[in-house]
Amino acid sequence: MLEIILKLIEVSFWSGIAAVGFGILFNVPRSAIITVFALGFGAGFIKFALMHFGAHVALGSLLAALFVGIISIPLAHRIHQPPVVFSIPPVIPMIPGYFAYETVLSIMNFIFIETNTNKRLALIDAIFTNSFSMVFVLISLTVGVALPMLLLKKNSVKKIDI
Amino acid sequence: MNESSKLIKTAHLLLEISSLLMVSGANTNRVNLSIDRFATALNFKASSLISHKTIIMTLLDEETNKSCTRVQNIPPYLINFSIISAISKASWHALTENWTLEQIFDEIEKIKKIKRYPRIVVLIAVSLAGAGFCNIFKGDYLNMLVAFVSTFLGLFIFQQTHQLKYNLYIRIFLGSLIASATASLGILNNIGTHPQAALATSILFLVPGVALINSFTDLLDNNILNGVVRFTTGLMTVLAMAIGLFLAMYLFQLN
Repeated sequence: MLEIILKLIEVSFWSGIAAVGFGILFNVPRSAIITVFALGFGAGFIKFALMHFGAHVALGSLLAALFVGIISIPLAHRIHQPPVVFSIPPVIPMIPGYFAYETVLSIMNFIFIETNTNKRLALIDAIFTNSFSMVFVLISLTVGVALPMLLLKKNSVKKIDI
Repeated sequence: MNESSKLIKTAHLLLEISSLLMVSGANTNRVNLSIDRFATALNFKASSLISHKTIIMTLLDEETNKSCTRVQNIPPYLINFSIISAISKASWHALTENWTLEQIFDEIEKIKKIKRYPRIVVLIAVSLAGAGFCNIFKGDYLNMLVAFVSTFLGLFIFQQTHQLKYNLYIRIFLGSLIASATASLGILNNIGTHPQAALATSILFLVPGVALINSFTDLLDNNILNGVVRFTTGLMTVLAMAIGLFLAMYLFQLN
């Protein structure tokens, strides 16, 4: 059990580092970097804990993104930044880039290389599985981040009383 | 300053602000919000058509019923959240403190000068992110080292070709090719327990995350056209990445 928790913390730590890396690539203000790391860590922890208990990657991503979306409302008030600044970098490590390029790779193998019928069938399976996983994870992430604001029917955090 | 020249100057300023926001990676809703706030602060009413490359805006002075329409082209995109943050703050100050046109103009000039992080800091931070990805995909610390080096070289090429003003998709292709070729060397030499993880994660620094997230938030806000445009841009990016990766795998016979 302890080993699993340590492994989870290690993976979440690196999710946080990945979030900060993207934050710096997107030039987030210096004052938001610690927040970005914390949110990346929290989101990674939620996602990998859920996936450890057998949840689908889309569900894990949805709840992790919801966490980011909800927490960023009080945080936006506290550190006086619009929520996009620190709600996008933590979800970037969860963007299904892996599924996306698996899809394209399968398509290219299907078209240019594979001639064996059985393997071509396996490639069709891979194309569909990966591309639809990608779309569902993407929808989960954006809905998760945007839902708290949509539910409160406000288009600016400044108008939300906390 | 007479009425109409003030109207034209305001229209130019608001277009400048919206184009800055679009370039920095704000979604369409946020651009509209910011324009509304600034326009309200200056007692104008602004209506605009925002597309990926051009913004058309009509500014109406409700007292005199005079209006002014201007078009602005949007320069190439370069994501910069510091600018989004600064403009958002400025819009609130403008609204609550009733800023004049000159005050807003000076503030925007200041915002345009916001510096980016030094190149080496970006290179190291993004490479660390690449190593982090590798850990997430079950790589060990040797694989993470390979991912770090590959991401570093890939991003270096990506930045270098930016200075040479190459086409964006060519740059993505080259970055992805260099990064995945470096990671392929890791597979050939069998470095670490999961060398495949390093290959898969070495190109993730190119993932069009902001484009894809903004695409879906635009779709949710009913800005369907912009949402579709952003999604297509994202897909093109992924395609360019995959071609680079595919070529590297083909060259090293890793299929």
